[in-house]
Amino acid sequence: MKRRLINLFALLACTAVVFGCSSSEDSSSSSPETASASESVEEVGSLEGTVEVSGSSTVEETASASESVEEVGSLEGTVEVSGSSTVEPVSVRVAELFEDVAPGVAVNVDGPGTGDGFELFCNGETDISGASRAIKDAEAEACAATGVEYIELQVGIDGIGVMTNANNDAVDCVSKGDLYALVGPESTGFDSWSDANDLAVELGGTGGFPDAPLDIFGPGAESGTFDSFNEMTFKSIAKSRDQESREARPDYVSSGDDNVILTGIQGSDTSLGWVGFAFAANAADVKLLEMDGGDGCVAPTPVTIASGEYPLSRPLFIYVNPAKLADNPALEAYVDFFMTEVSLQDAVTEVGYVPLAAVEMAATQNTWSSR
Amino acid sequence: MKIGSTLNDGKVADRINDEIRRRNSDPRGIIFRTFLQLGLFLALLILTVLLVDVVQNGWGTLSTRFGDFLSGTLRSRSIDEKLGVHQGLVGSFWIAVTTAIVAFPIGIGAAIYLEEYAPKNRLTRFIEINIRNLAGVPSVVYGLLGLFIFVNTFGKWTGGKSLLSAALTLSILVLPIVIITASEAIRATPQSLREGAYGVGATRWEVVRRQVLPYAAPGILTGTLLAMSRAIGEAAPLILVGAVTGRLGTNPGFLDLGALKERFVAMPIVITEWTQNSGRDPGFAGAAAAAIVVLLIFVLALNSIAILLRNRFEKRRK
Repeated sequence: MKRRLINLFALLACTAVVFGCSSSEDSSSSSPETASASESVEEVGSLEGTVEVSGSSTVEETASASESVEEVGSLEGTVEVSGSSTVEPVSVRVAELFEDVAPGVAVNVDGPGTGDGFELFCNGETDISGASRAIKDAEAEACAATGVEYIELQVGIDGIGVMTNANNDAVDCVSKGDLYALVGPESTGFDSWSDANDLAVELGGTGGFPDAPLDIFGPGAESGTFDSFNEMTFKSIAKSRDQESREARPDYVSSGDDNVILTGIQGSDTSLGWVGFAFAANAADVKLLEMDGGDGCVAPTPVTIASGEYPLSRPLFIYVNPAKLADNPALEAYVDFFMTEVSLQDAVTEVGYVPLAAVEMAATQNTWSSR
Repeated sequence: MKIGSTLNDGKVADRINDEIRRRNSDPRGIIFRTFLQLGLFLALLILTVLLVDVVQNGWGTLSTRFGDFLSGTLRSRSIDEKLGVHQGLVGSFWIAVTTAIVAFPIGIGAAIYLEEYAPKNRLTRFIEINIRNLAGVPSVVYGLLGLFIFVNTFGKWTGGKSLLSAALTLSILVLPIVIITASEAIRATPQSLREGAYGVGATRWEVVRRQVLPYAAPGILTGTLLAMSRAIGEAAPLILVGAVTGRLGTNPGFLDLGALKERFVAMPIVITEWTQNSGRDPGFAGAAAAAIVVLLIFVLALNSIAILLRNRFEKRRK
């Protein structure tokens, strides 16, 4: 009996060793790729947006920033940031860049969600609250009740690109209703594009999708893009149709890795998929679909996303408590830094969102400086 | 009379013989044993697959930058050189230390009182049942309790949302487990030990101190060890009492007592956060796996200290 148990252990140990060895080879070969990926992220960052306008102002911003470096560098204090988990990475990235300028300032960032964030913010517990939508009336009233004022600053845009294979000529433009019919909660089991026609017509579309295999690739439930896509695309339609689920159908190929989704879309001529816009914009060999929000088809570009014309986009805000500014110079310095080109352009791009267009960015900066 | 006659029957005698010599003539017994072995095998297999998977995913990080990973902090991008688990380890370390200081004396004290001093009546039985129920309360409820007591009511001393509040909350969370396991260990002390001591004129205090506690010590230690591992693995209550998820502005050392009154992060939070981040930045999946390996090593290290202590107590018992 004892000997058998030992054998069992030995067998398990052997499998462990075999798996373990193969893993070390895999990962060591992949590490140089990660390094090159980091470089490409930086490149993308500088490529994004309107280069002519932003280029000149970057120089000014850095110049003015370097003047105040000595003051800011000796600052000490704590800044508490909470709110949307979508905005969280932006605030964290900005805090990381800010750390190099003001090492004495501790910026703590949390991401319980936009609603929870406002609750803390209106209780005066946080200095800044991130939000993936504008503050609701009820939340504004709650803030007013406790005497907490706020400064609303838009810092970027969360956009989603819907894609199909470059060889797919049948589809150029879809509406939210079409997407609901193809990948929404009621589409579970649709194997062919044409399966969705009835539902698409019912939702006010033209239908007319061809009888071709519908191969869907998208982010999994662990991804923030999954939530964003559900909220922007399905939520209101599912609500009006009394559907319990307001999420994408469960039967599609999901991945946390955008590259895997892209490979899937490239691999099937009649595929459909979606990823965050910053990634989609740089994807090769795929066709980015136009979206019809009711006023004709709009192609996703940094301009149409920044202006809100493209339907699958939503603004990202930070809300600052002005009362906290007076006794916390660290907070003012952090928001000042947040308003520079380095943050609003580069940091926003680095974590996968669309930076504001030049005009909107200037407007945000102006709102802050003229507070 | 009847027994004697069946024993004389040759078949039964053979069966007893077989059973004694472990020759298997009982098919149902064999099936049962195979079933049990299968259970053991599956449990070990699942554990092995989990371990292999985690080590495999985390190996890239662990083999290339283990030192930096241990000294690094929470970052927004997985390619960041400063990405690491130092802040999480400091948080988990203090949670473990505080639980040991706060929960163990109180829990073991309560267990000794319940087993050795308290009269066995309806009230004590009622209390015991409730302690058992408390051990099954979802941890988030303890988080709310901690938010109310340590963060809000005693915020002046704990620093509000702080590492100290979290450690005290987890101490309360593991208290029922400590009491139950310590009670079991004390109850397993042979009654003859107590009676012998009373017989030579020992007081109750002397019996507990000289006989019961030394005998129960290994069992009590095993229980407290489990409780500590539980505390280190909890994530849900921490979020309510001040753990940050995105970024912790400071990076205190292990012996920096000032950090106790500041906001914090612990290993389970780091792992959850990085797993969520992997949706937006796939590199975080590897970092999360590496963090799991570090947490496992951390827990194993703590456990081995406790096992060494237990062995010392066991030797003394003999």
